[in-house]
Amino acid sequence: MDRLYCAHLGAVRQLEGMELGQDIDEIQSARGRVSKDDSLPLVSLQNVSLGYDSEPVLQNVDLTIYPGDLIGLAGPNGSGKTTLFRAILGLLPILSGTVSRNCPLSNFGYVPQSAALDPQFPLSTGEVVEMGAYGRIRPYEFFPAAEKKQIGEVLDQVGLRQLAARSFFSLSGGQKQRILIARALMVKPKIMILDEPLSGVDEESRKSISELLVGLTRHSGLAIFFSSHDVPMVRRVADRFLRVDKGKIWWEKKGVELHP
Amino acid sequence: MSTFLEILSPSYLLFPALLGTAILGLVCPLIGSYLILRRTVFLGLTLPQIAAAGVSFTFWLQQTGFLPQWQQGERGIGMIGSLLFTFLGMGLLGYLEQRRKGIAEGRLAAAYALAGALTILFIVFNPAGQIEVLNLLKGEVIALSKGELRLLATVFGLVLVGMLLFRREFLLTSFDRDLAFLLKGRQIIWDVLLYLLAGVSIAFGVIMAGPLLLFGFLVLPALAARPLVNNMSSFLWLSSLLGLAMAVFGFYSSVRLDLPLGPTDVTLGCCLIFLAYALRRISPRRALGLIVLSSVALWTYGCATPTAPLPEAKALNNQTLWLAKVKNSTGLSLLLPATNPLRSLAEMAGKISSDYRQSVMDLLRDDLRRELEQRGFRVTLPEQTDSRFPAFPADTGNAVRLAREGKLSGLIFVSEIWRWEADSRQFVRVFADFKIVRTDDGSVLWERRIQRAVPTPSATNLGQAYTDSVKEIVRDLFAG
Repeated sequence: MDRLYCAHLGAVRQLEGMELGQDIDEIQSARGRVSKDDSLPLVSLQNVSLGYDSEPVLQNVDLTIYPGDLIGLAGPNGSGKTTLFRAILGLLPILSGTVSRNCPLSNFGYVPQSAALDPQFPLSTGEVVEMGAYGRIRPYEFFPAAEKKQIGEVLDQVGLRQLAARSFFSLSGGQKQRILIARALMVKPKIMILDEPLSGVDEESRKSISELLVGLTRHSGLAIFFSSHDVPMVRRVADRFLRVDKGKIWWEKKGVELHP
Repeated sequence: MSTFLEILSPSYLLFPALLGTAILGLVCPLIGSYLILRRTVFLGLTLPQIAAAGVSFTFWLQQTGFLPQWQQGERGIGMIGSLLFTFLGMGLLGYLEQRRKGIAEGRLAAAYALAGALTILFIVFNPAGQIEVLNLLKGEVIALSKGELRLLATVFGLVLVGMLLFRREFLLTSFDRDLAFLLKGRQIIWDVLLYLLAGVSIAFGVIMAGPLLLFGFLVLPALAARPLVNNMSSFLWLSSLLGLAMAVFGFYSSVRLDLPLGPTDVTLGCCLIFLAYALRRISPRRALGLIVLSSVALWTYGCATPTAPLPEAKALNNQTLWLAKVKNSTGLSLLLPATNPLRSLAEMAGKISSDYRQSVMDLLRDDLRRELEQRGFRVTLPEQTDSRFPAFPADTGNAVRLAREGKLSGLIFVSEIWRWEADSRQFVRVFADFKIVRTDDGSVLWERRIQRAVPTPSATNLGQAYTDSVKEIVRDLFAG
């Protein structure tokens, strides 16, 4: 089994490296929106080790994310999904290896787990979305009218414009996730990273959020990297699919599941 | 002073104190809102206590001769200690937070206990200045001078501008640190700026208003606003508005009922929290109606003139008015200091013997007599008929009984002092009753209760403060 896994991992890594360009080209041409000139990787991790207090959680991570990618990351709770995301976002220093980003951090749209946000804050849905624009506004500036218009547009994109005045923490789990996606879109991102966007939401919301993610990559060239502990769902939604468990990370081909 | 509108008038003597309290009430809740939302509310309790320790520490240093006597006065030297200790405390707590030594609440609780203990110890080491230091720590915002008010307005004005200017950064850093990092870079800059503004407010606020009132203004309005709003901008302005209401109505209640300002404001703030949670349970329309009704009732009560003016002498058929000795029920002698210049003058004029010392009661009766005679009353002193007449109590039944036993007929003017305390040289807290009673049927023709802090800004010693306050009370008594 180990040999089989290693062979597969090697093949995937080769695909990820040399042959990935072709793979991405196919995906992108299928979507008909990104030229070859645009296919510089947005993020690239090479032989990266991640962890806390010198204790590695994940080792030898090689990953490249291109514009228009829809990559899923599946693994059980505590396997290091959030750790990987935090390293990509520069929130966690890496232990070794190289992380290169071809766009500024302000072009990263991050959707945290909604449970990680403090319900103590009296925030309306509109105010939560508005935060996505804060990176573009100087302290002494009034909130520009164009940005206000943009809030309405991103709320339309996630289909929740009518909830703009509602208290954010009074929304259902699925609605909260969509609002956090709207906030990330407000950043005008090139890449969006979503930490467990489908956890704690009902089946209908999972479906609509999944459709939203697919739609965003198909129509706006946005790269999306999302995680979930629901392996079948990740396999169904993502174009490419990473598995993480027990300190290891590997690519899986859609439709084929190989265990370490 | 009897009406709510009077305290809002710029010509009112305590107006600077009211303005100072209002500034604190307006700005402190903005900082307190973030302390509550960041779940660091105990920092709002601990830092004022650390600042208070700084105040008593600098006074102790001054007492031991390590620090020179400073021309800027007691508050100036206290402010240095307050600022120094606040920022040292914040630095130490921040360092321990970074090192993750112990649990956060434990660190704050230990710092609070230590600061409280040090405050008391430094006061004990400094017997010469105990009363002054205690007064400063109590936060006698009522004795705020115009210069201090200007300083307070400048500092808190800058804090307000900072809070408004960086509201987005503070919100983002407090709510979602990861997003703040992605959009605004290192969050530590905004944390430092927020705590810097909090530290400056606390250090200045403690010396102006005391730790209790400051902590009250920091957290209570924000806690009251929280259940009533569902967005951040409403939360901030409502907190500020409730802080302002707490300051103004607390000040009014304190002056009207002769209560210390800090505890009155804090109690009012707690009532606001209960009221907010009660209002949350009813529909917004009913809540609004209730608020409007309560405001009208408060306004009507506050603006009503509670006392009738003194009747004219003619209306009383020029009956004899017996002016009884003023009864002292304070438990204190209320003698004027031996160095009182009035005493020397009286001695020189041969009016008093050298072993006689005038009291507040004597001064008050003299002034009352002069004022009543000027208004056409035929004033007679009961001891002119019988020198054994005691001071009459303000209780109508007992006053009438004493008058009848002494065969006094007509009208009797009785006065009783319940409280007479000089808080500082600038104010005398007075609580006294005055009545005109008809001895035949025991009916009360006029009555007034004076219950307030009487300002004595030009007094240079206690005797002068007492004399000035007597004049002010008599003026007030007959003004209505």
